[in-house]
Amino acid sequence: MLVAQILINGILLGGMYILLAQGLNLVFGVMGVVNLAHGAIITVAGLFTFWFTTRTQQNPLLLLPVVFLAMLAIGAVLQRFLLEPLAGAGRKSELLSLMITFGLSYVLVEIGLNVFGSQYVSLPYLQTTWSVGGLTVNEALIAAGVLGATISGLLQIWLHHTGSGKSLIATSQNRIGAITCGIDVSRMRCIAFALGSSLAAAAGVLLIMVMPLAAQTADSLTILAFVVVAMGGLGDYAGAALAALLLGIAQSAVGYYVGGDAESVVPYLLFIVFMILRPQGLGRAAQPQ
Amino acid sequence: MNVEPEAATALPQQRPTVLRVAFPSRRRPARRALVGLVVLAVLAAAPALKSGYVLQLATDILSFVAMACSWNLISGFTGYVSFGQVTFFGLGAYTTALIVLHTPIPWYLAIPIAVALAGVAALLLGAVMLRLRGIMFALGMLGLARILTVVIANWSFAGGAVGLTLPAELTPIAVYAGTWAAALFAVGVSAFYLHSRFGLSAMAVRDDEAAAVALGVDTRRVKILTFVLSALAPAAVGGLVAWNRSFIDPASAFDPTMDLQLVVFTLFGGIGTLWGPLLGTIVLMLIGEQLWAYVPDLQLALYGGLVIVVVLAFPGGIVGLANRFGWLHRRPILAPHAFPSPIVPPLPPQPVPAGDVILEVRDLTVRFSGIVALDGLSFSVRRGESVAILGANGAGKTTMFNTVTGFVMPSEGAILYAGQPVDGLVSFQRARHGIARTFQIPRLMISMTVWENVLLAGANGRLSRHAVEQTAWALHITGLAPMWLDPVDRLSPGQQRRLELARALALGPTLLLLDEVMAGMTRDEQEEIRDVLRRLPEFGVAAVAGIEHVISAIADISDRMIVLDHGRKIAEGVPADVLRDPVVIQSYLGDIG
Amino acid sequence: MQAPQSCAVPAALMVDAVVAGIGSMTLLHGISLHVEAQAVTLLLGANGAGKTTLIRTLAGLIAPRAGRIMLFGEPIGGLPPHLIARAGVGHVPSGRELFPRMTVADHLTLGGRLCSAERRAAQRERVLELFPAVAERLRQQAGTLSGGEQQMVSIARALMTDPRVLLLDEPSAGLAPKVVQAVFQTLPKLQSLGVSVLLAEQSLAFGFSVAKRAYIIRDGRIVLSGTPAELSADASVVKAYLGA
Repeated sequence: MLVAQILINGILLGGMYILLAQGLNLVFGVMGVVNLAHGAIITVAGLFTFWFTTRTQQNPLLLLPVVFLAMLAIGAVLQRFLLEPLAGAGRKSELLSLMITFGLSYVLVEIGLNVFGSQYVSLPYLQTTWSVGGLTVNEALIAAGVLGATISGLLQIWLHHTGSGKSLIATSQNRIGAITCGIDVSRMRCIAFALGSSLAAAAGVLLIMVMPLAAQTADSLTILAFVVVAMGGLGDYAGAALAALLLGIAQSAVGYYVGGDAESVVPYLLFIVFMILRPQGLGRAAQPQ
Repeated sequence: MNVEPEAATALPQQRPTVLRVAFPSRRRPARRALVGLVVLAVLAAAPALKSGYVLQLATDILSFVAMACSWNLISGFTGYVSFGQVTFFGLGAYTTALIVLHTPIPWYLAIPIAVALAGVAALLLGAVMLRLRGIMFALGMLGLARILTVVIANWSFAGGAVGLTLPAELTPIAVYAGTWAAALFAVGVSAFYLHSRFGLSAMAVRDDEAAAVALGVDTRRVKILTFVLSALAPAAVGGLVAWNRSFIDPASAFDPTMDLQLVVFTLFGGIGTLWGPLLGTIVLMLIGEQLWAYVPDLQLALYGGLVIVVVLAFPGGIVGLANRFGWLHRRPILAPHAFPSPIVPPLPPQPVPAGDVILEVRDLTVRFSGIVALDGLSFSVRRGESVAILGANGAGKTTMFNTVTGFVMPSEGAILYAGQPVDGLVSFQRARHGIARTFQIPRLMISMTVWENVLLAGANGRLSRHAVEQTAWALHITGLAPMWLDPVDRLSPGQQRRLELARALALGPTLLLLDEVMAGMTRDEQEEIRDVLRRLPEFGVAAVAGIEHVISAIADISDRMIVLDHGRKIAEGVPADVLRDPVVIQSYLGDIG
Repeated sequence: MQAPQSCAVPAALMVDAVVAGIGSMTLLHGISLHVEAQAVTLLLGANGAGKTTLIRTLAGLIAPRAGRIMLFGEPIGGLPPHLIARAGVGHVPSGRELFPRMTVADHLTLGGRLCSAERRAAQRERVLELFPAVAERLRQQAGTLSGGEQQMVSIARALMTDPRVLLLDEPSAGLAPKVVQAVFQTLPKLQSLGVSVLLAEQSLAFGFSVAKRAYIIRDGRIVLSGTPAELSADASVVKAYLGA
């Protein structure tokens, strides 16, 4: 039973991690940029959810669409002014963009610190536990895991079955080929970043219900998302999903057997192990160009 | 997606440079020395001011100068951006503290031991992490600091999350002196990089790691050594700061905002330069001191914002701006005051292989992603021969070169160089053993002058004096002497190809592999190159194999021609016969009308 | 695809003294040429001569620094590439540049995204008729196709954009002669559909039989031009410039 318990917790956690990582994958696939501000966006969104919910006593899940849409707009603006100027430089912009998102993450963290303070906070919402056949699961975790997986699934459907989604995938697989189809690659980059940021924000709304967040932990979330993406093979969504589940289960197991603190080290250790043993990741996709 | 193996050369992509680094120039070295003296004098004078506040400020500034210059070594000069240098700072702090608390070793030995241990840690880490691509390396380092924070927070021997308190044994003056020494060391190492062949190799790794390997640079050694050097000063500073504060805990020892500061200071000053980290740190810390009093809660945001502004508006930092006025340029490495004259003819290549057959390729087969690039190719090149390799695009010619030089692993078959199989040698070793190549699309180091590009190859295994002679000679015979101090992007495509040739010749090769060296050359330039090619035996080159499309330019100077088609040899013989062979005409030249 | 016009037709593509380059290097030094409407124009040159640079400049991937580019009389020089594609310039890049993990059908869909649904369906029919090999492999991932099949998909994708002018950059590269023949057999059919073609090639053989006019480019300059008959009568000249 313990194994089953660990598994179910791990899977639900993984479901949330999938959402966490999707945004990063999208941005990397289309732009070749690792968004180091990813974790900061998640954190600020989560803190905002906490702030709003404690003030208005409303259901935090109602914020999901609001935060998502708001972040679409904010992300688009950020991309236009901060990242698009570098995009023309091609691969050379990879490290420069890294620096910019590095700087951006600290700007966001500071905003978080000033507005929400430096305390760890979490939302005591949906705290009932369900008991099913001997297994106990926390309702918030179920909601987060299921919603996380659902939103990711919807994204995949959008990517693979709509014109604009396919244009995005095409751009991530071959920029020049996309241009010959009349695709405005610059606009694709903007959409990718805006969408990636809103997915991160949505993940933040869910995350605050499951674990405590504070402004200064933004980095760890970026690394978490990056670990999932890197393990899955940069740009590979199926691989990232698999990696997310693996990570969730691994963390769940470590949490039970070793203890709370060690749990937070699992992503980094897994990352280092993977980078040494299998740098290309779990997925089959090749690196984007 | 590119199916043509020819174009998919399987070489790693040219490393993206963080930015175009300040271009070398020879002007006004005296001015630079003056600036340096002033800065040092000011910092040295701090204790004289007797104010505890000023002393502390000076100590802090020097600490960050030491760390920023060290960060610049691996991230700026070598191009492997690291977001986790604070790891070494923390290691230094904790090692020192633990040694002092638990052993009778006094502090003045504890700190050097901590530095040595940090160096060892960097060696081990570097061996593993420097194999990763740029982004992975950056984030891998970030993760490391986190792991250490958690590990130590749970390790009661190391004080756990609460931290360790240290007896107050060092006076502030002693700490100041210590950080002064660390800063001097870091700046000194940076200066060394900008004036040495080793530093040149590091910059080559940044500009184009694969090309550097083809020129005989042991890039792995350069990266790891640089990484180790970049760990020493931070560790020393960590140890000293531990004393200064008499207290360390995981949060402050592995404080991630320290990385942010290093990045900001160095970027603002000018990444990849000598003065950049120094000036950036001093200016920003002085401004910061005044500023934080007014806006204590915006420090991170301002730093982050500054990074963004610098990258978007002036990626070269202060030094980059100064460069536009002709100040603070770095000097071209090992460049004499005037172009060397008279030209000393080159030394014989080393080592000199014996035997008649210089290169032998047997049943070479290369497959990747479902394509057969080479299919059972066999041929040989004898001593004194000049062999032309023809074939349409995608025939496998460049893949064959890549296999011989070690960039691509053969799926089957053998390659013998001077009778010995090359399997045991990696790419840079093959270059050092005398196999030199040029690239189909010139891969030149853009942050270096023409002189330095060639010096990179010329310096291999030679004393500096000989390296300079060799470089001068290579530039002379390819007609590039007049532009020896120009940046490479000012050269015409023809001149760039000549530079590629000069680089390959500077290596002093036994076997020269030329990839489309005639492309884009005017008639006159072609004549010059043909002249050089005719004289190759004089220079100790035992054999030449050249891929060419401009057949008229090489038909009369080739002893033999080999024609490839879809990875197979379809013709071989003297040029007159090959160019008339109907099979060749059909597949390559095509029929007219 | 436009119906042919009866009165004096402006050149499908008129290139006038175009100067272009990458970074601080100038690669095209004042190129002037005409692509005749509903005909195949050949651009011959050796590696590094500037063919791909010119094609990319015409497609909008490189911004021209001087000179004019007119598509049926409308200026397109300096426009962003996706707008040039919309204007009716199709581009089949050297190296094909397909989407390796998308299906052939997806390629056609993406190519046709500029058209309305009915136009797209009609165009798709025409394209599949032209390339039966493509029609047979609609469900296959582009990365798994052979070189020749990929080239056909690349051309088919460009045709789906309903171009008035098609820029073909070394379609024969890396392909076996038989395969190249198959690809080139489609060129006359394109003409009959009203598409004007600019074909850049390195090899003498293939383009000559279908081209109405040929330009020889060397070191970023047009050094010779004429009909294939004129040029092949002086085969040695051509060979000298190609270096072959």
